Amino acid sequence: MRHEILGSPDFTSARITFEQAGESCVAESGAMVARSGGIQMKTAMRGGLLAAAKRKMLGGESLFQNTFTATAAGQELLLAPAPEGDLQSRILQPNEPFFLQSGAYVAHMGDALNIDTSWGGAKGFFSGMGLFLLKIVGPGTVLYGSYGAIHAVEVDGSYICDTDHIVGFTSGLTYNITKFGGFKSLFLSGEGLVCHFSGRGTLLLQTRNPPSLANFLERYRRVEKSSSND
Amino acid sequence: MQINIKYRPTFALAEVQLQPGEMVRAESGAMVSMSSHVQVSTDATMGGKGGLLGMLKRATLGGESFFTNRFTAAGAPGEVTLAPTLAGDMVVHELTADHALFIQGSSFVACQDGISLDTKFQGMKGFFSGENLFFLKATGDGPVVLNAFGGIETLDLDGELVVDTGHVVAFTSGLDYTVTKASKGWIDSFLSGEGLVLNFSGRGRLWLQSRNPGAYGKTVGALLPARKE
Amino acid sequence: MEHVVEHGPAFAWLRVGLAPGETIQAEAGAMVRRDVGVGMDTRLNAGYAAGFFRKIMAFFVALVRKMLGGETLFVNTFTGPASGSSEVVLAPSLSGQIVHHKLDGRTQLIVQAGSYLASTGSIDTKLRWGGLRMLLSREGLFLLECTGQGDLFITSYGDIIPVQVDGDYVVDTGHMVAYEGNLDFTVGGAGGGLKGLFLSGEGLVMTFRGTGTLYLQSRNVQGLVGWLTPMLR
Repeated sequence: MRHEILGSPDFTSARITFEQAGESCVAESGAMVARSGGIQMKTAMRGGLLAAAKRKMLGGESLFQNTFTATAAGQELLLAPAPEGDLQSRILQPNEPFFLQSGAYVAHMGDALNIDTSWGGAKGFFSGMGLFLLKIVGPGTVLYGSYGAIHAVEVDGSYICDTDHIVGFTSGLTYNITKFGGFKSLFLSGEGLVCHFSGRGTLLLQTRNPPSLANFLERYRRVEKSSSND
Repeated sequence: MQINIKYRPTFALAEVQLQPGEMVRAESGAMVSMSSHVQVSTDATMGGKGGLLGMLKRATLGGESFFTNRFTAAGAPGEVTLAPTLAGDMVVHELTADHALFIQGSSFVACQDGISLDTKFQGMKGFFSGENLFFLKATGDGPVVLNAFGGIETLDLDGELVVDTGHVVAFTSGLDYTVTKASKGWIDSFLSGEGLVLNFSGRGRLWLQSRNPGAYGKTVGALLPARKE
Repeated sequence: MEHVVEHGPAFAWLRVGLAPGETIQAEAGAMVRRDVGVGMDTRLNAGYAAGFFRKIMAFFVALVRKMLGGETLFVNTFTGPASGSSEVVLAPSLSGQIVHHKLDGRTQLIVQAGSYLASTGSIDTKLRWGGLRMLLSREGLFLLECTGQGDLFITSYGDIIPVQVDGDYVVDTGHMVAYEGNLDFTVGGAGGGLKGLFLSGEGLVMTFRGTGTLYLQSRNVQGLVGWLTPMLR
């Protein structure tokens, strides 16, 4: 099977074309734009159930992933991430690790690809919005999206970034999370955390900040008076 | 200071290269990344009334409060990258002593420290609070980084033009303006979906954005779960 | 009518020049800027040749939708002045493309209501009545049948992806912008049985059959909402 990235970097999507019956692609729930009629879709629970359950209770995402399997050659599947931004693919070699912010994951191809949601460094990375760091190990191809464009930084030494802007990074980098010294998110739900990276590797940043967008939209939400006995 | 805008026009990122001792002042949420030896200090420029409580309330509900951080490269050249909240383009305007720049609040990204930013100047206050808009008046010498929600149109106006306020990024002094409702009458205003418009006349530069943050907020906000109060 | 789309493909807006007396109607709230002489007035989008009953029904639907925070079905009509500059710029609320469709009186284009931006001439936009459920559901599938002659401008959230359909094709309803040709569709769950319907996280899908052209958008607002919700207070 092959994949094409469409429209990059503006509201990028991906077209997966299956070349044989039986080929399959696993995607985040909600990522499907369209598919040929013959493709079968199966829903299954994703790994990291506890974290997924916590996210579900926060009322957003689903606990599940969908597996799309072709029944004939030439069938196609169109996938897109939820936020406004780019989509990239990364082909991982056997045993090659890649660290990906959990909200950025869109889909993957290759049964041998391992997505670890509960490895040692997973939690505590982001400001507690149900996001954590996935450790993905090859072989296989992973598709991930961003809010904004994807800005790659070749770190050689040290570098600091706002954690809300992290999409992912390669092995070779160590990191340390601290609070930001300035006025940042006094009033945001996040903590205004920054990450100090050191070592040699590639850091992928997104040029827009998801909690900032959520904060911007707060004033546009309907207000429900909670019924209380005053 | 050198400012380079990347990823134009859709998800622009401003890369500011600072010489040792140079300082850039940026809107508080704008920092994406920085060299590890860049130092940060805070400054709050507060618009409006109500004291600390009023400021906190407005800020929580996305009101008028305006906060900035100052970034300095200590000892060696360094970089800071900055981005606004919404998708779109960014542009750098060289402010000079012969004109002032009126900037819609959410369109300000950064400026060279030393440029004066005033949120309390007369002429704009009170008009826009219902539309979640406020304007800053920038005066001085040096670069100002503006962002647009969407694409940027730069117009050198010599005459008159009617503009929806949500689409205004900034304009220079030299342009006179009045604020009116877009439609005649209250029912039409409610139904037409158009809010307030700025009626410009004179000679000056006007920057417009091809999307309106308020319209986007209402479209998405209507579908978000309700807030409990 | 002179028209040009600028700032595409991500933040497209429509710039038109109106001849004296020439009109363009646009969805409520779309105006960016206009020359001083251009007239603007607000009307109910009941369709070009709507009779009394259709007008009442359209008014009721529009008012309810407006109060539920959905799209309004009111339109603003801009008229070119007798003399002087006559430019109007229009933009939708979401980011993406604007596509021009010329209707010649013989074919029709079915457009998802939120994707309608503006039209000229005698183009009729008739709302397909889907019953009370359609009215009240927030993800409601509001489809406009556009017929007649003139210029039609539709918008997308994200990129527009045209697909030539010949056979069965399944589309997430939130990603559907418009379709034309000899196509029929049914609405249902995304597949994967009962479990898939409730748990897959996919919304409703339209299964198209026949031959024709589908216009899809690469983002959908419900997806944005789902992604944002865990980050809200």
